[in-house]
Amino acid sequence: MGLAIGTKRRRWRTEPADEPDPKEQIKYKLLILRVAVIIAFAALTVQLARLQIIRGAELERRAELNQLRVEPVIPPRGLIYDRNGVQLVENVPGFSAGIVAADVPKERTLEIAAAIEDLLGVPAMETVLRIEASRKSNDPFTPIVIKDGLDQATAFRLREELPAMPGVQVIVEPVRRYPYGELLAAVLGYTGRVDEEDYRELRDDGYLATDRLGKAGVEAAYERYLRGELGARQVEKDASGREIRTLEELAASPGNDLFLSIDLDLQHKATELTQAVANGGQAAAIVMDVNTGEILALVSLPQYDNNIFSGKIDERRLEQYLKDPKKPLVNHALAEQYPPGSIFKQITGLAALQEGVANPSTTITSRGAIQVPNQYDPSVVYIFRDWRALGSLNFYGGVAMSSDVYFYYLGGGYHYYGNNFNGLGIERLAAYTRMFGLGAETGIDIAGEAPGNVPDPQWKMDTWGEQWTLGDTYNMSIGQGFLAATPIQMVRATAAVANGGKLLQPRVVRQVVDADCHVIVGNEPRIQSQIPIDQRNFDIMHEAMRQAVSWGTAKDGGIRGVEVAGKTGTAEFGERFADGSYKTHAWFAGFAPADNPQIAITVFLEHGVGAINAAPLASKILDYYFHRPAPAQQTAVQP
Amino acid sequence: MNWRNTPTREFDFPLVFAAAGLVVYGLLLIYSGSLTNYGEPGTNLSHPVTRQATFALFGLLAMLVLSRFDYRILGPLSVTIYVLSLALLVLVLFTGSSEYGSRRWIELLGTQVQPSEIAKVCTVIMLAKYFSDQEEKMRSARVFLTSFAIAALPAALVLIEPDLGSALVFIAFWFAMVIVAGARFWHVAAFAIVGGVGAAVAWLEFAHGYQKERIAVWWDPEKYESGAGFNVVQAEISTGAGRVFGKGFTKGTQTQLDYLRTQTTDYIFSVGAEELGFVGAMVLFGLFMLLLFRGISIAARADDAFGRLIAVGVMSFILFQAFVNIGVNIRLMPVTGVPLPFVSLGGSSLVTLLASLGIVLSILGHRRRRPRRA
Repeated sequence: MGLAIGTKRRRWRTEPADEPDPKEQIKYKLLILRVAVIIAFAALTVQLARLQIIRGAELERRAELNQLRVEPVIPPRGLIYDRNGVQLVENVPGFSAGIVAADVPKERTLEIAAAIEDLLGVPAMETVLRIEASRKSNDPFTPIVIKDGLDQATAFRLREELPAMPGVQVIVEPVRRYPYGELLAAVLGYTGRVDEEDYRELRDDGYLATDRLGKAGVEAAYERYLRGELGARQVEKDASGREIRTLEELAASPGNDLFLSIDLDLQHKATELTQAVANGGQAAAIVMDVNTGEILALVSLPQYDNNIFSGKIDERRLEQYLKDPKKPLVNHALAEQYPPGSIFKQITGLAALQEGVANPSTTITSRGAIQVPNQYDPSVVYIFRDWRALGSLNFYGGVAMSSDVYFYYLGGGYHYYGNNFNGLGIERLAAYTRMFGLGAETGIDIAGEAPGNVPDPQWKMDTWGEQWTLGDTYNMSIGQGFLAATPIQMVRATAAVANGGKLLQPRVVRQVVDADCHVIVGNEPRIQSQIPIDQRNFDIMHEAMRQAVSWGTAKDGGIRGVEVAGKTGTAEFGERFADGSYKTHAWFAGFAPADNPQIAITVFLEHGVGAINAAPLASKILDYYFHRPAPAQQTAVQP
Repeated sequence: MNWRNTPTREFDFPLVFAAAGLVVYGLLLIYSGSLTNYGEPGTNLSHPVTRQATFALFGLLAMLVLSRFDYRILGPLSVTIYVLSLALLVLVLFTGSSEYGSRRWIELLGTQVQPSEIAKVCTVIMLAKYFSDQEEKMRSARVFLTSFAIAALPAALVLIEPDLGSALVFIAFWFAMVIVAGARFWHVAAFAIVGGVGAAVAWLEFAHGYQKERIAVWWDPEKYESGAGFNVVQAEISTGAGRVFGKGFTKGTQTQLDYLRTQTTDYIFSVGAEELGFVGAMVLFGLFMLLLFRGISIAARADDAFGRLIAVGVMSFILFQAFVNIGVNIRLMPVTGVPLPFVSLGGSSLVTLLASLGIVLSILGHRRRRPRRA
């Protein structure tokens, strides 16, 4: 401040005699004070104008950002019903503890983290680190989940403590509950929280970091139908994150409902029957409508309870499942591939009929084995066995008795020791095998399918670096060797045999229906291809398989009142035992009624013999299907 | 002395108008700022608006009463009231109730009293008395330093509470008074330099962490937004969001949704800026400038140095507080907790200010007519 105002020269060193009029001096000094008032308010006015006029628009927008938040409205996930309208899933409220890092006062972070540790047992340091990380991210307003799957009591206690914990919130979101649990886990799958890697891709599709999505089964395959569309609410929030009011709301559109082709009652019975014979091993049983491709029952053993993934994952049980050598989390009906064994003879047989390699009267004699001398060194002779010396058999007998020798001839031909029978050869056999859908995913609407394997010379060279041999063709002709197929592939192939060559896409979902009951995806059969085999040849195969059940190896697959056509299989696998035998899988594939096929069935047991173990199981399932009591008398399946 | 013994009985209506205007302005902002947490005042006697209005009435009464008394009676009483106010400042250190970590209030006559507010005006009177007694020796260094000690003693006690903002108020009005009283220029200049250096050293050596942080926050509040910078950022947003005409009374989202903190005290200016805009702020500035100019004009017309210096002291602390408080609100300076005179919620401050204006009015009203020149 200019203190020199009012002084004409450096007067303060001089004597008082030179003092000016004191009244004048006072006037000047008060002028300083007046100038100070003006300067002070001028400075304030300039700064105020900078904020309110120059930066006004920007700061006004920030005030809006402060108070207005767009909150997502989570759509109710579509429900799932069985083919008769029984509800198979429920949406129940799930509670979790979340934190909006931007609303946590920095100086109280530790205190709040400690309170969370007391209440929920989440280590305070972990909470602090996650809050810090979220603060540094570009999205500190998105809640992070601190603890999942709170029980109701804990959630309510947390809610009471919320006023003391700014930024913390109880997230209530619908989670899935599966009343039938294990019974349908292989079909339904489960939902789980979006994990961080997935989120980067999913956020553009309207997913939230705290969101859930289908992770397996139908839940995963029909995710885009089940999910619905997020709604949004513009809400006004106060400084501690409390909602004041909703300004605008864009309603969420609920997910679509699914009607499965699964028949809960049959599913239940088939599961029970399969469990009774599986001895704790892996097993699968599938019942398929041969005209539509709809799956009526799909059993995979051992089972798992898909409820462990709802809300907070039950780590202990998940650990058990993961350690179990029988792999309960794997869908054995479609994600595991096995040698199909003799049920594959349907395909070899049909190919041979169509290609003129065989006709119904083609007679071949099985003496228990055939011998093939080594191409280069005739003194070495390979032996290919039949399961028994079955004598002379025509085509029907060959199928009915499941003669391996018969099918060695059809597949590979036989030109030794005076015989001269031209077989299909590997190229034609592999081509027909592929026509029946093996070696590729069936396209069933359950995630996680395995493609199986159809070997040919090229494949063997690429994979093993070895020449294809006649023996390989023989093995493949009877469904052994390098051939691998999933139960779902085999039931579909069997259905194609039954329906005259229509290769259908198997489906567990009949209809997708929106909230207004409009059918979005209908139940028209999806025929992938028509297999170029004449109907008369299918008729021959039908008759052969009918005979297999009426007097052949599949005798135990028969049921009263309905004629069944079927084929057993006993597939060797694993290491050879000292006596030359192997462990065996048991298969049965068939359809019924034989003269007017409606359903195809395939059962698979990890350990067993087709005729002894698989055929009776299939028989019981078929019997239940055709003879079960009317729905009113059925014992209701207990969730 | 050839004074006639009849006072002029002059009264400064514009000054009273400005003060009343500021009080009403304050009541409106307190009403708006307390809606969220208190709702409508109604018959609730503990509602901030009701409390402030009650104190305003007491203050106006005190103002009118004091304006009728001859301010000269304060001369002989000055030492007593100064010592009493010091005693209160000591008392508050031992028995005061604390808020935000500092002891500022004591219970007196059934109400919360902030001794620092009372001490301000008592110190002004003490200084005015001292300077007027030493009018002939104003140029001596001893008087200069003694007067500083008179102001520094209460300032130090307030600083211990700790309340840096109020402590600075004492130094500010002493500075204005000592200049007007006629101190040597080089004393003032030397003091300013020594004081500046001393303050810088004291700052570096003794300042608490939170005080240092305030400077950093002032410089870049966004960096501390979720912590110490929150209030600074929110005050800036509130003020800017008001733009020219404001969001409308009680319509400011920053105020009503609690983004703005201490919105009836330290940050009350931002409430007005948000809801009444630049225009509303100019009305406030106008009222302050009217009040200050009228007060300074009374100082100019005062009969004696005692009255003149009281008026200067009171006006300079009103100016300083208003400047600092508004400056903090609009981020012209670092956070310092000083109330906005007449406007901020707080009984001690309001009553003391109105009473001080009563004394200033008395200075005008008790001038003595000079005899007509023969």
